[in-house]
Amino acid sequence: MNSRALSYVLAAGALVGLTALAFAVGRYPISLAELVSVLVGKSVSANVETVVLQVRGPRVLAALVVGAALAAAGTAYQGMFRNPLVSPDILGVSSGAALGAVLAIFFSQGIIVIQVFAFVGGLVAVGLVYWIGSRLRGHDPLLALVLTGVVIGTLLGSVIALLKYLADPYNQLPAITYWLLGSLAAIAPRDLAAAAPLALAGLAPMLLLRWRVNLLALPDDEARALGVDTRKLRTLVVAAATLMTAAAVAVSGIIGWIGLLIPHAARLLVGPDFGRLLPLAMLLGAAFLLAVDTLCRTIATIEVPPGVLTALIGTPFFLWLFALARRSW
Amino acid sequence: MMRYSLFLLVFISGYCIGQTAVTDVSGREIRPPAKVERVYAAGPPASLLVFAIAPEKLVGWTRAMRDNEAPFFPDRYARLPELGRLTGRGNTANVEVVLNAKADLIVDVGSTGATLASLASQVQEQTRIPYGLFDGRIESTPGTLRALGRLMGNEREAERLAAWYENELEEARRRVAGVKEHPLVYYGRSASGLQTGGKGSINVEVLEVLGARNAGAEVRPGLVTVSFEQVLLWNPEVILTTDPNYWKSVWSDPRWRAVKAVEDKRVYLSPHLPFGWFDFPPGANRLLGVWWTGKLLYPQPFGDVDLRAKTAEFHRLFYHREPTAAQLDALLAEPGVLPK
Amino acid sequence: MLQVESLAYGFPGRTVGRDVSFSLGAGEAMCVLGPNGGGKTTLFRTILGLLQPHGGTIQLGGISLESLSRREIAQRIGYVPQGHSAYFAYTVRDFVLMGRTAHLGVFSVPGREDVELAERVLESLGIAHLAGRAVTEVSGGERQLALVARALAQEPATLVLDEPTASLDFGNQVRVLEKISTLAATGISILFASHDPDHAFLASHRVLLLAEGRALEIGPPAQVIRADSLKRLYGVSVEVLPLAGGRHTCLPELR
Repeated sequence: MNSRALSYVLAAGALVGLTALAFAVGRYPISLAELVSVLVGKSVSANVETVVLQVRGPRVLAALVVGAALAAAGTAYQGMFRNPLVSPDILGVSSGAALGAVLAIFFSQGIIVIQVFAFVGGLVAVGLVYWIGSRLRGHDPLLALVLTGVVIGTLLGSVIALLKYLADPYNQLPAITYWLLGSLAAIAPRDLAAAAPLALAGLAPMLLLRWRVNLLALPDDEARALGVDTRKLRTLVVAAATLMTAAAVAVSGIIGWIGLLIPHAARLLVGPDFGRLLPLAMLLGAAFLLAVDTLCRTIATIEVPPGVLTALIGTPFFLWLFALARRSW
Repeated sequence: MMRYSLFLLVFISGYCIGQTAVTDVSGREIRPPAKVERVYAAGPPASLLVFAIAPEKLVGWTRAMRDNEAPFFPDRYARLPELGRLTGRGNTANVEVVLNAKADLIVDVGSTGATLASLASQVQEQTRIPYGLFDGRIESTPGTLRALGRLMGNEREAERLAAWYENELEEARRRVAGVKEHPLVYYGRSASGLQTGGKGSINVEVLEVLGARNAGAEVRPGLVTVSFEQVLLWNPEVILTTDPNYWKSVWSDPRWRAVKAVEDKRVYLSPHLPFGWFDFPPGANRLLGVWWTGKLLYPQPFGDVDLRAKTAEFHRLFYHREPTAAQLDALLAEPGVLPK
Repeated sequence: MLQVESLAYGFPGRTVGRDVSFSLGAGEAMCVLGPNGGGKTTLFRTILGLLQPHGGTIQLGGISLESLSRREIAQRIGYVPQGHSAYFAYTVRDFVLMGRTAHLGVFSVPGREDVELAERVLESLGIAHLAGRAVTEVSGGERQLALVARALAQEPATLVLDEPTASLDFGNQVRVLEKISTLAATGISILFASHDPDHAFLASHRVLLLAEGRALEIGPPAQVIRADSLKRLYGVSVEVLPLAGGRHTCLPELR
């Protein structure tokens, strides 16, 4: 088996193993026998059933969905912007989602409203960036997008800072701070039911267009000369990636580093062909976030923010991977 | 004659100086001017106490009164200007605003740490206005009231309030003294209900005054996030919260339904007007939270406590306005405040 | 195969050249000579449909360019750009396969036949041994040939090469020129720009002198490339020497 196929097999294997492990561990002690019983459908104590089906199960699945979505979006963007240091935030989806959520918290709304605001906020921010960026004529279209994304992202960030400043320090501010740190602790089955289809809706075009997306890695002239409508393709890729990221951020808050690190790692393993890269990036992203989140909810009585661990674990891991690699991006 | 006047002068000045110097909680000596007419309270817990002692001396509120808070205060005081918070998290006041308010004294009540103390010293230097920091814990409230009374020159009023407050706390402790089995309580914050206060955290002071068992006590002090599994593991008998969204969602959420407190329908929402009863602002207002929580957790020992009467009395003494029957109804009849 | 009539071209808001007319038949190779900034690249990009013409017409195989979709254009005319900064380490095979996009459906992935065609093209250019190597790791000349291969994978009737020999060593320059001649012989129309008039002599049937956006002269190299026309084009003194066998070469006179 060549090294590429091996990468897939190992990644898939790791994912399956981690999922099994994640179901088996947690603060609430559940024996393997009980776990199997619940999954098979036999009746066990109400609490065990609640933990497995309502708490742990959705959380594990959400970690897989969010991890895969962020990794896929990062992969698409890194190819599209021809820059391996790009993350899904580059066009402001996270800032927009954060602003939406912070606004909802500021106005003392419930969880569902917070999530909807976050989702819509992410979409609107990218829509705004894209609309402004494509109106800037006479510039390299990608550069225009990136610059607009940075500017709008900064603007949204300062509005968030202002809201934090004005928020009630006893009540709203802690809630805002915790949302911005990201967490899968509050995942409910309905969150999964909402996020998963949206993420899939974003994934579908990416999978269908996986060959064409490769051509976005070429200079614009070359890609067009090869028969690709680069503007349309870029719009589609941005829309798909934004949909996936906004859906993920709406239910999990801001979890960084996955969209940046995982596509990189995957590319070092199987090369830049998007068709081969995307599935592996998703497998690795899902496995990584699942591993991190499982740690977050088991190492202490309190919850550790996943964004902290993704950075702490991810950075040395990435440096190691990069040192091993013989080829360039 | 000269000797007599000299003696009088020394006696009076000694009386003036010795009388009103107070050591605040950070160990700094606060020397207010001979007459204190205008007091700037740097945060809500301080505003509450200054207002209680001498409402006419409070220069302004840190945040303008909202429409639903104002009816609990005498009209002329409800409309006092908004001056902003001065120190602590989220300070929004401009030192110039403070100067413009021409305060004779600045006080702050609440957390007390080295950072806040140095901030207070700094502002005092800048403005030349004495700035005192005082402990905001429930049990320290009588002491703080007395200290403020001395600083402001309203010792009589402050003493009355302090003695009353001490009495109330004493009574509550007495009622709870005979209790052998303290229920396990979980305090759920934020819309998800998954934030709680750790051991010794200021957020769960009310519980600790009553000696109730805080589910989050095994965690370090401060505000923390926990997971559902952890809450299920604790399986608290009572859940208290300050978030109405969370309270509403708890009844239909299958994950929360597994918790004993939800099964037994013992999930309660703290009243929040004009100042919250249970957690924030972390000031003297939480005395009402002590009564409210006491009745919920210990129905027997607190059975004959008339919550309406207690509320009316507190409002009268501290907010200087007798609440109407309708206002009391609104406070106590809000869904989630009392067992049905 | 390619017909250009009174073409005016440039950027939005700025016309760079006008009155360019020529036609290129099957198997014909035309070299465009001109100074830097003379409009060669802009002209090529307009012919490829990458820029909107400001006037005149362009026809590919008798069909007007503006009536063709991006995809249809790519099936008829291939582009070999000047140099290529590779960002990602695609294999040479995958790189060349990109040329098949014009013949693939929107949701399709290259199939076995596409891969076989790509390998054949690599073979014909003598770089089949590089198929599995990363395009970022081959030499400049090899990358240029890979670019040619990619354009050929489009199976175009016309090939446009923008200064294909720039930054290549002498040996590679010769190889690319050889390739151009061979390709023309297979029936492909070739339009290429060069900075060296000798290349026109070596590999083209006709030459177009382009200065300040205008076509100064069009015709067979021996006719068009003269000392005075080169002086007009480049502003330097060059002697055009006839050689045995009807060939010519240019020798600049250095002062």
